[in-house]
Amino acid sequence: MDYDYLIKLLCVGDSGVGKTSFLYKYTDGVFHTQFISTVGIDFREKTVVYQQNGRQHRIHLQLWDTAGQERFRSLTTAFYRDAMGFLLLFDLTNEASFLEVRNWIEQLKTHSLSDDPDIVLCGHKCDLQEKRLVNPNRAREFAKNYNLPYLETSAKTGQNIDRAIEILLDKVMFRMETSVEYAMQCATGRRRQSLQKLQAKQDRKFCSC
Amino acid sequence: MALNPQYDAIGRGFVQQYYTLFDDPAQRANLASMYNVETSFMTFEGVQLQGAVKIMEKLNALTFQKIGRIVTSVDSQPMFDGGVLINVLGRLQCDEDPPHPYMQTFVLKPLGDSFFVQHDIFRLGIHDIA
Repeated sequence: MDYDYLIKLLCVGDSGVGKTSFLYKYTDGVFHTQFISTVGIDFREKTVVYQQNGRQHRIHLQLWDTAGQERFRSLTTAFYRDAMGFLLLFDLTNEASFLEVRNWIEQLKTHSLSDDPDIVLCGHKCDLQEKRLVNPNRAREFAKNYNLPYLETSAKTGQNIDRAIEILLDKVMFRMETSVEYAMQCATGRRRQSLQKLQAKQDRKFCSC
Repeated sequence: MALNPQYDAIGRGFVQQYYTLFDDPAQRANLASMYNVETSFMTFEGVQLQGAVKIMEKLNALTFQKIGRIVTSVDSQPMFDGGVLINVLGRLQCDEDPPHPYMQTFVLKPLGDSFFVQHDIFRLGIHDIA
């Protein structure tokens, strides 16, 4: 398959919040799902076209799902490895799954490449209004404290499913673009020079004479 | 106390009885009687628990509705205090999830003419590398 970028996204959250249905809806039920039993990973793939600065990129998305091992609290580090962004789901009809979001954020910070990983928080199953137990303002307030985008989603109606992945993809692509610039700066030596200056300054500071 | 020559039959019998209770939501609470209130230890996915109350809290907090399993092997050894060391290798499936391999180790400690579970260690067989 031909593409410009391969992006690995993870879908996490308590068991039963609807991760698999979310991804199923996003891929319109048409996906090649592969189950890697030794690491407990279920993943689907989808290729999308992404516009950035007037240029079109073909992006091959790998959407990683757990295979139920989160019931046992046994996600291994292999699952998180090399993930570029995270969809963090909770169930609007299950308060415990909302309370666990804090722990999931900690897990992502611990295991992901960055201390400040790209996360989109989704209050899922928003079609079940009569069973809702998490107030939208409460969820929004929480997301604001953690500086996360927050969406209410439903796999049944399809509400915000595509939007959530687009927002996450924007964040991931932005990070990639800025890190490319950063890498270019290093390559041209500008940054290296300033680092050397800083090093020299520090060396002087610790000089015993 | 001497080695118990019946260790293999005890191991198999215990494993069958334990999972019959575990896998039936209506009977799972009865597992409490297999653990000692103070001197039973469980390590569940790296979480250390002591005593029947904490152990049952852990088991009751598991979120699946139904669980099925196939036990591949039950390996047992007699212990010098008359107890039995048991290692189980199997595969379990919760609700509609894909099946996962697992390992579980028990130490049965003699108590009168029966036993209680003194040690219980559980892990799913998922790895850091594919």
